[in-house]
Amino acid sequence: MALNLLTDITPWRPSHSPGLSIRSELFAALIGAILVIPQGITFAYLAGLPPEYGIYTAIFVTLFASLFGTSSMLGGPNTAVAILIGVAVAPFAGRGSPLYIEYVLLLSFMVGLIQLTIWLLRGGRFFMYLSPAAITGITTGVGFILILSSLDGIFGLSSSDTHFFYHKLYFLFDDAESLINPFSFTIGATTVIAGMIARHYKTRYVILIAITAGYLYGLVLMAYYSQVEMELELLGHLPINPLPVSHPPMGTDYLITGLAMLPDALIIALIGLAQSMVIVKQLRNDTDQPIQPDKEVFAQGIANLLAPFFSSFAGSGSFNRTQVNQSLHAETPLTGIVSAGIVLVLILLLGPVLTYLPMPAISGTLMLVGIGMIKTDEIKRLFNWRGELAVFATTLFCILFLGLQTGLVVALVLSVLLFVISASSLELIAERESVSVRIRVEGHLFYASIDQLSQILKEHRHESVVLDLSVVTYLDLSATEAITKELANRDQESTFFAVKLSSKRLQNQFEIKMAGQPVQFIQHNQV
Amino acid sequence: MVDWLIRFHFDNYPRLLKHPKNHIFRIPLLLLVLCSASPVQSEQLPIESLLQRSYLDDYYSNVVYGYRIVTETEKYGARYTGNNLRCTNCHLDAGRKQNALPLNVAGMYPKWRSKNGRRNGIGLRIRECFVYSLNGIMPPEDAPEVMAVAAYISYLSHGEIIGKAPAGRGVPTLPDTGYDPNPASGKAIYDQMCAACHGADGQGIPGIPPLWGMDAYNEGAGMARVHRAAGFIWANMPLGQERTLSHQQALDVAAYINMQIRPGDPREYKLLKLFETVSWFFDR
Repeated sequence: MALNLLTDITPWRPSHSPGLSIRSELFAALIGAILVIPQGITFAYLAGLPPEYGIYTAIFVTLFASLFGTSSMLGGPNTAVAILIGVAVAPFAGRGSPLYIEYVLLLSFMVGLIQLTIWLLRGGRFFMYLSPAAITGITTGVGFILILSSLDGIFGLSSSDTHFFYHKLYFLFDDAESLINPFSFTIGATTVIAGMIARHYKTRYVILIAITAGYLYGLVLMAYYSQVEMELELLGHLPINPLPVSHPPMGTDYLITGLAMLPDALIIALIGLAQSMVIVKQLRNDTDQPIQPDKEVFAQGIANLLAPFFSSFAGSGSFNRTQVNQSLHAETPLTGIVSAGIVLVLILLLGPVLTYLPMPAISGTLMLVGIGMIKTDEIKRLFNWRGELAVFATTLFCILFLGLQTGLVVALVLSVLLFVISASSLELIAERESVSVRIRVEGHLFYASIDQLSQILKEHRHESVVLDLSVVTYLDLSATEAITKELANRDQESTFFAVKLSSKRLQNQFEIKMAGQPVQFIQHNQV
Repeated sequence: MVDWLIRFHFDNYPRLLKHPKNHIFRIPLLLLVLCSASPVQSEQLPIESLLQRSYLDDYYSNVVYGYRIVTETEKYGARYTGNNLRCTNCHLDAGRKQNALPLNVAGMYPKWRSKNGRRNGIGLRIRECFVYSLNGIMPPEDAPEVMAVAAYISYLSHGEIIGKAPAGRGVPTLPDTGYDPNPASGKAIYDQMCAACHGADGQGIPGIPPLWGMDAYNEGAGMARVHRAAGFIWANMPLGQERTLSHQQALDVAAYINMQIRPGDPREYKLLKLFETVSWFFDR
C-alpha cells in the first residue's frame, strides 16, 4: 500500500493531467500566495497565536495538503478551524504564551491523527451527507462571526468578554464616543469601502486592493500623527524563520490536557474535513480533475499531522482561495505547492514593510471575507423549500447564539435527519386496472417507511392487488415481514396478490423469505 | 478537605443561627480542623519551578510568558521591539534587583504621569516601554505580550502594599553635587570603566547592551534623561562593583552617553521608524 501511495501522490505530473498549463498554474499560485498572507495573519489572531504562526500555516499546511492531494483545492489556515482552536485552547493557558503554543501544536497533532483514522475507516463519504442548506448555514454563520470579530479591530476596541454579538453591538452604540478610535475607524472604513468598490471591477484582487488602500491611508495618517498619539494597532515585526522546526509536546504531563481537548480535536477534525469535502465535491462537479475524495481526506490528515512539526496549526481547505484558483483556471495541486514557496519569498521580502501595516486594514479585509461568505442568492434559493430553510435557520441560530461547535453538531445532525426523513418517505400510487389494483411503490422499503405501505395494503384488503416494486432497490427484513402479516389478513378466496420486483436477485431473495405464502410473481421484464 | 469543611460551616451560617441544635455538633469538628491547619499562607511559587512545569493555569502561564519576554525580549517580544535590548538589561535580574528599576510596582498603578499627561494603568506603562526603551511600536492594550508582562509584574508585586512604594523602587535620586554634568570627563571615565564591556563605540557585545547608536533606546526613553541614567549607573554600574563611582562621575558618564546619537523620539519623528526599517532592509 505504501508503494501504491508513493506512485499516486504526484497527480500534478504532466502524465497524470494532460491539460496542465504551467503559466496559469503559476499565476494562480502567485495570487493565492498574496491572498493567504492577510488571511494567515488574521486567522492566527483568531486562534490566539502570534501572526508568524499563521504564515507558517499558510506555507506548510498548504504545501503538504497539495503535495498529497489530488485536486487544485488550496489548503491552509481556515476561519472556522482557527476560531475553534482559539476556543479549545483558551481555558488551558494564556493567549500567545509558549505553553499555549505547545497546546495548539498538540491539538493540531491530535486533529491530524483523528483525520487519518477517519481516512483509514474510509469515512470520507459520510461528509457527503452534509446538506447544502446546512453548509450555507455554516458559511453564513462563520461570515457573521468574521464580521463581528473584525469590528474589534476596525473600531479599535480591546477585546472584551461578550457572550453574544448583540452585547458587543450594544456596547459599541452605547459608548461610541469613548470606545471608538477615530484613526482605526477611518482606516478600517477605507479598507472596506475600497474592497466594496473593487468588487465591482476586479473581483480577483479585492483583498489586495483593499489592504493596499488601507495601508496607504495608514501611512498618510502616520505622517501627521505619531503612533503613540493615535494608539493605532500595527502588525509588528514578523520574526520569520524559513525552516521553523518544532514538535508537538510529548510526555505524560500533556496527556491530561490532551484528553481534555479531545472533544474539541474531534470537532475540529470533522469540520475541517467537512469543509474540504464540500470543496472537493464542488470541484468534482465543476471541473474534470482526477479527484479522489479519499486521497483528499488522507492529504488533510497528513498535512495537519505534519503541521506541528513546522510551527503550524491545523487548517483545512479554503473556500475563497479555491474559488479564486478556479477562476484563474488552475487545475492541479502544483498551484498549492508553488503558492507555499511564493508565500515564503513574499514574506521575507515584504517583512519590513508589513511591520507598519495597520491592524484595522487587516480587520477590514476580514470583514470583506465575512461579507463574501454571506451569499444572499443562495439563501434566497433556500426559501423555496421549507425543510432546507429550517435546517439553514436552525444552524445559523445555533452558531450565533450557542457557539460554533454546537452549531456544527446541530448542522450535521439535522442534515442526517433530513436525509433520513426524505429517504423514508414513500411515493405510493394506486391505479385501478381491469381486475386488480396496481400499487406502485417508489423509495426504499425499510423499517422506517414500511408503515405507509401497510396502510395502503390494508385499504385494498378485499381486492386483487399487484404490488409493483419495480423501482424499489432496497428491501429489508421488516418489509417482507410486514407483507407477510398483511397476507394473513387478506380475503384469500376471491383475490390474488402479485408482486413485481426490479431484479432477479431481489426476486430470489423475496421468494426465499415468502416461502409458503400465497404470492404470485410477475417477471421483472414483463409489464 | 479543610476548605470544604469551613465553607460548609459558613455557607449554612444563617440556618445555623435558626437551628443551633442541629449544627452545634459541627463546631468542635470545625475547631479541630482550624487548630490542625496551619495559618493560611499562599506561598508564591518561585519562577524557576514554574519554568519546569508543563501544566500551568492561565495566570501562571502568563507569568512564565512574561518572564520569558523580560529575559529574552528579542525572541519572545520580537513583534513590537525595534532594537536588540532586553527588558532585563535595565530591570536587572529580571526586575528583581532593588535600585535597578525593580518591577514589583503593580501596587503603584494606576497613577497620573507627566510624561503623557494622563492616568496610566500598568498596561499603558508597559506599552510605553516598548515604544521608547525598546524603540519599537506600541502594542495594543490587549496584546498577549502586554498581558503577560502585566501578569509577571503582579507576580513580582505579591506581598507589597498597594499605594506604598516598595523598597528600592526605581533608581536612587542623586543629591545635587553643585556642578553641571561634564560630558568630557564623562568620556574619560567611560573609556576607563565602561568601554571594556560596552565597547569604545558604545555598541556592546552579545549579552551586554549597546548604549547608543541606532540599536539602543531612543530619545523618549527614561534612560535618555541624564539624572535618571546617573542614578542607575551609580547604583548598579560597573556590574559587580556598584556604587564605586562618585555621584559626579555617574552624572558625567550619563551626560556623555546621552549626548550620543540614538533613534529619535517617536512622538516627534512620525515616519522615521518606517524609513529606518526600510533603509535597514536595503543596507542589508
